[in-house]
Amino acid sequence: MDKKVEELYRVKEIGFMGKVSASLSHEIKNTLAIINESVGLMGDLLRKEGSDDLPQYSRLTSLMASIEEQVQRSADIVKRLNQFAHSMDKSLAEVDLNETVNQTVILAQRFANLRRVTLETQLESAPLHLLSDPFRLLYVIFGLIERAINCSPKEAAVRVKTHRSGEMFQVTVTDQGTVTADEMRALLSVSPSAEGEHRDSDLAILAQTVEFLGGTIGAEQEDGGLNKVVLSFPERVT
Amino acid sequence: MAEYRVLLVDDEEEFVSALSERLMLRGIEVDSALNGEEALARLVEKEFEVVILDVMMPGLGGLEVLRQIKSTHPDTQVILLTGHGSTREGIEGMRLGAFDYLIKPVDIEEMLEKMKEAAKSVGAG
Repeated sequence: MDKKVEELYRVKEIGFMGKVSASLSHEIKNTLAIINESVGLMGDLLRKEGSDDLPQYSRLTSLMASIEEQVQRSADIVKRLNQFAHSMDKSLAEVDLNETVNQTVILAQRFANLRRVTLETQLESAPLHLLSDPFRLLYVIFGLIERAINCSPKEAAVRVKTHRSGEMFQVTVTDQGTVTADEMRALLSVSPSAEGEHRDSDLAILAQTVEFLGGTIGAEQEDGGLNKVVLSFPERVT
Repeated sequence: MAEYRVLLVDDEEEFVSALSERLMLRGIEVDSALNGEEALARLVEKEFEVVILDVMMPGLGGLEVLRQIKSTHPDTQVILLTGHGSTREGIEGMRLGAFDYLIKPVDIEEMLEKMKEAAKSVGAG
């Protein structure tokens, strides 16, 4: 299949996934709103004059408060899902790299918690606007954060930093793992193939996506032995 | 009793029913409609200072209903309800003349505050 046609198919497929996910997240929001008002009404009725004589009154109000808290928690999760779904709306859009990194860190937080790893961000103070593919940008940054989490020892920190370097916008992911910069460079240069859908080709696939976005990816060793992967993106995909 | 009337418009019947009752318990006069067409008909029959309007409804969507309300009842204040994490519809609604917008699920105290401000802006409340 022609490369451009293949890309068009891919964009349409991703768009479909985003559209359905966004629509489902909207429906979930509606059911949460119903639960919220129903439990709120129960609370209102219970608090009406004389209702505090009811047996288990304080237990019931405390259970209702807990439902309200969980509704809010679910609403926050659905908000993340909705934002993620909308990253698939367009294959080319203006994004603020700082916002994309924040969104990615929120999405990766649970994976970090499961491995008891802390995620830290250090963002450039000014917005970093670039014209790019929002979903693919999210995908590569998430992929690198996830890799850093998985190779970190427990209680370690993964630091994600954004900054502007001349004409390029950079994201740096630093970890305390044992994979050296040399090993990283070797993994980045693996040639991904259909048969190679194993862990070792993950980085190479990410590297190809970075290339598609007009960017570069490199591995470096910081003083003190920390490993860092540096992503550089142009102001617009060419 | 609050000195303003509210029209609550949302296609989710249980949401409308529970929220209407909660507002009434707080002394607010509330009518409801389950779609945009019904809402516009209600506005012809009766005057409302505030309309709480869901953005995503089947048939006549919330933003179209807002456009029509602002053209026929410019003094009626509209507060939009959006289910999306994204606030794009809310911002578009503000451009079309909405008083404000709220994201579902709504905090009732925040809603009451916004309704009060909206009513005050048209000399009620």
